Amino acid sequence: MNSLRGWRLWTVLGFLVASAGLPALTPNDYLLQVLFRIALFAALGLAWNLVGGYAGQLSLGHVAYFGVGAYGLALFTAHSVPKWISVFLAASVAALFAAVIGSIVFRLRGPYFTLSTIAFAEVLRLTATNLNITGGAIGLTTPALFTGSSFWTLFYLSAVILAFITFLVNYWVSRSRFGYYLLAIREDEDTASAVGIDTAGYKLRALLISAFVTALGGALYASAFQFIVPDNVFTIDISVQIAIITMLGGAGTLPGPVLGSVLLLGASEMFKSQFKESHLLIYGLLIVVVVLFLPEGIVGGFEQRLRNRKKTPVDAAKALALGGD
Amino acid sequence: MPILELDNVTKRFGGLTAVKSVTFALQAGEIVFIIGPNGAGKTSIFNLISGFLHPDEGSIRFQGKDISKLPAYQAARRGIGRTFQIVKPLASLSVLENVMLGAFMHTSSTRKAEQEAKKILAFLQMPHLENFPARGLPLAALKRLEIARALATMPKMILLDEVVSGLTTSEALALAGLVKRLPEWGVSVVGGVEHVMQVVMKIAHRIVVLDHGAKIAEGQPEEVVKEPGVIEAYLGPRYKELAR
Repeated sequence: MNSLRGWRLWTVLGFLVASAGLPALTPNDYLLQVLFRIALFAALGLAWNLVGGYAGQLSLGHVAYFGVGAYGLALFTAHSVPKWISVFLAASVAALFAAVIGSIVFRLRGPYFTLSTIAFAEVLRLTATNLNITGGAIGLTTPALFTGSSFWTLFYLSAVILAFITFLVNYWVSRSRFGYYLLAIREDEDTASAVGIDTAGYKLRALLISAFVTALGGALYASAFQFIVPDNVFTIDISVQIAIITMLGGAGTLPGPVLGSVLLLGASEMFKSQFKESHLLIYGLLIVVVVLFLPEGIVGGFEQRLRNRKKTPVDAAKALALGGD
Repeated sequence: MPILELDNVTKRFGGLTAVKSVTFALQAGEIVFIIGPNGAGKTSIFNLISGFLHPDEGSIRFQGKDISKLPAYQAARRGIGRTFQIVKPLASLSVLENVMLGAFMHTSSTRKAEQEAKKILAFLQMPHLENFPARGLPLAALKRLEIARALATMPKMILLDEVVSGLTTSEALALAGLVKRLPEWGVSVVGGVEHVMQVVMKIAHRIVVLDHGAKIAEGQPEEVVKEPGVIEAYLGPRYKELAR
C-alpha cells in the first residue's frame, strides 16, 4: 500500500505522458492498432485486478461484460441512441448483468466459482449466436466513435484514458477500507466475516466496478473494428487473456496489469512477425516460465523479494513469552 | 441481565449431535471458560454464537436480542469478536494491517484505523512486530494477533477458541495474563480450552464442562474439577472411583 507521491507519482505521470505522445512517433496504422490493443488490455487487466487480484476471485468469465459492452453499443445505436450515450448505457447494462451473475457465482468458492464464471460467459455467447436481435452468428455492425485520418490515434488515446482512469480506481481501492476488505476476503473469508465484513456484498461491489470498465473496453473494441460476431467478442480467449496478462504482471498490484499487457501483447506481436505460426508456442512457453518462477507475477515476485528481506526477528517474537501480568 | 444466553441449543451434523441442548449464560464483564475433551463440542458452540453455524433447536440471545439466525458478519457487527482455533492470519498482510481490518468496523479512515490498531498492539505487547508480515510469525504471536484483530472491532464479548493450545507453559501464562485484563476494555470473555487447566484455574470466573456435546457441570473452577462426572469424562470411569 504505497502512496502515490515522490518518484512513484512522477513515474506514473511520465508513463502517461509518454503513452500519450507515442502516436506522434508511430504514423503507421498497424503499429497504432497494436498500441491500441495493449492500452485496451491494460485497462481490462486493471478492471479484472479488482476482482481477480485484490479480492482474489479468479474469474474466467469477464468476456461476458466485454461482450455485453460490445453488443450493447451496437444495439443501442441501432435504436438511434447517440453513440457515446450508448457506450455508457451498454456499460450500465453490463453492471446489471454483473449484479445478477455475481449474486449467483459468488456463492461458490475456488474452482467452482471459476467454472461458473466460464459457464455464464458461454451462456451469453450461445444466446448471442442464436437470437435474431443480435444478428445470430453473422453478428452486427457497430458505429465508429471516431472517424477521419487520426482514427487509430484517437482510439489509442481513448484506451489510454480508460486505462489511466482504471489505474486511479485501482489506486484508490488499494489505499481505502474497501481495498483492505477485498484483501481480507482474498486471504481468508472466515476471518473477514469474523471482523464484520459482508464478504458477498463486497465481492459484488468489486465486480460491478470491474464489469462496468470491462464493458467500456468491449464497446471501444467493437467500435474500433466496426463489426462484431459472438465468436469474437464472447470468446473465452479474451477472458483468459485478461486473466493471464494480470497474473503475469502481478495480480493485486498496481503496475502489474499494465506491465503484463505491454510484455505479453508486445512479445506476441514481435514473435508473430519473427516466427510466423510458432509465435503461439513462444507465448505459451513464456507463460509457463513465469508461472514456474514467478507465481505471484513479475511485480508481485519483486515485492515478495523485498518483503522477504524483512524476516521476523526470532528474539522479538520470543519476547512474547515474557510480560503478561 | 446476562450479556449472552444460550437456551437449550442443539446442533446436529447428519446423524451426529455435536451440541445437545446446552444452556448457559454469561454476565457482562465475566470470564467463562468452556472446557471439555477433544470433540466435546466447544468449537461448535463458538461457531453457533458467532453465526458461522445456526442452531437446529433452541435460541441464542445477545444483549437480550435473538441472534440465532444472524450471519457471521452481522454477529460481529453486533459486538461478538472471535478468534479461531486454527489461527487464520491474513498471511500476506502485515501485523498492523491485520489489526487495522478489525478497526475498520468503526471507521473508514485508514489513518484512524492505524492509530486504533497501534493502541491494541501496545496492549498485547507486540508493537515491535507491527511491520512484519503475518506469514512466518511464531504461534505465540499469531495467537495474540487473533486477539488483537478481534479486540480492534471493539466487541462487547470475545470468543477465544483454544487460545493457548500449542503454546509453551510460559507463553500460555503470559497470554492468560492479558486475557484476564480484557474486561478492562469492556469485554466479556468466553474461552474454550481442552486441558490447559493452569490457565483456566488462573483466570476463569466460572467454568462450563462439556462432554459429547452436553453440559455435564458448571461452577467455580476449584469445585468443578473435583466433580466425579468431570473426572470420568477426562480420564475414564476407573478414575471416577478414585475421586471419591
